[in-house]
Amino acid sequence: MTLRERVESQRFCQGLGEAQCGELAACASERCFAQGEFLLRQHAPADTFYLVLEGQVQIRLALPGQGLVTLETIGPDEAVGWSWFAPPYRCQFDALATTPTRTLAFAAEPLRALMERDPTVGYAVLKVLVSTLSERVQSCRLQVLDVYAPPAGQR
Amino acid sequence: MSAPAEPTLPAPYRIVARRQDSADVFTWTVEPLGEHAPTFLPGQFNMLYAYGIGEVPVSISSAAAGEPLLHTIRAVGSVTRPMAALPVGTVIGLRGPYGTAWPLAEAEGGDLVIVAGGLGLAPLRPAILGALARRAQFGRLCLLYGTRSPADVLFADQLAAWRARGDLELRVTVDRATPDWTDEVGVVTRLIARAGFDPARTTAFVCGPEIMMRFAGEALLRRGVPAAAIHLSLERNMKCAVGYCGHCQLGPHFICRDGPVLAWPRLAGLLDVAEL
Repeated sequence: MTLRERVESQRFCQGLGEAQCGELAACASERCFAQGEFLLRQHAPADTFYLVLEGQVQIRLALPGQGLVTLETIGPDEAVGWSWFAPPYRCQFDALATTPTRTLAFAAEPLRALMERDPTVGYAVLKVLVSTLSERVQSCRLQVLDVYAPPAGQR
Repeated sequence: MSAPAEPTLPAPYRIVARRQDSADVFTWTVEPLGEHAPTFLPGQFNMLYAYGIGEVPVSISSAAAGEPLLHTIRAVGSVTRPMAALPVGTVIGLRGPYGTAWPLAEAEGGDLVIVAGGLGLAPLRPAILGALARRAQFGRLCLLYGTRSPADVLFADQLAAWRARGDLELRVTVDRATPDWTDEVGVVTRLIARAGFDPARTTAFVCGPEIMMRFAGEALLRRGVPAAAIHLSLERNMKCAVGYCGHCQLGPHFICRDGPVLAWPRLAGLLDVAEL
């Protein structure tokens, strides 16, 4: 599959014209990470939007006194990070490849410019991003609930 | 299913082995003192009676055939905590089996997705073993298991053996990882989108905390699994276990008699009512 075909197969390209897909593809490249390599580092500029094609990525946070804690794992067809979308464009977490990982990497600056210039593209990308965010927030709420803990009053 | 002749009369059983599965979960192997040895179906439960302490419903975690009778119990309440301290050799009362079973036969011919949360893996174990025993009758077989932390993973040896078979997609996730944990992290519902199955021809069995089952059911529906093909095992305060007392009532259902395994359409609107 060519890079162009790879981009066109993404959810946000459904309903977009050929030229728009071409512009999106122009922001993209395929990037591979070895096991143990970081996709994102906390506090670093969030200059790339990654979609995992193959492999597994851990989202991690350094906690004082506890070291690096893994918050969640990201798998194929899932997005890594959204700090690239909103100022100050700084990564909030580390993203570590725990297996050899292949990604579709979109350069954030031209992608943002394209989304601004062409609201149809902007809306298409944003719909996918919001659905990802909504899913992550829901998961996060369940994690916070600690559903496997003994019922209150029996701890 | 072999219905008990005297549905409220416990038969004496001896605890012949005890295994500590995690900090607060243990498994008893029990054997009848007499001839009481009823057959059961995956998903059914027994009422276990610790004499002088009390009686609780516990799902059967052994294979329906070829294994001694196993019950996996969490030491969490006023009955199960003292139960955890009972030594091997103690005689307990057992009555059952009760309730509905996982519809394994209905699932044959299609894919089977099993979603387990925490101790919910125990009532699903007989179904998994049943499916593996008739592996050729199923398409893809996925086990998605989520629990609190690596220390809470149940049946770890068994999970490793299942993974090694190569004909079962096993995904294990924890809500809270430790630095040495190499498997997935996050809630079990996230695994539903990742697993390889054909939603339209999939049957799903789900067991775990009720809130987890609700979100798992919704994730399965989003993926395209038909509502009628999603089956949940409910837990309620069961007392009589035969539909007399009403303690386990959930809306129009007596969970002991109509459940514990119920299809999603029968539970629609019941899982998000705070008072039920």
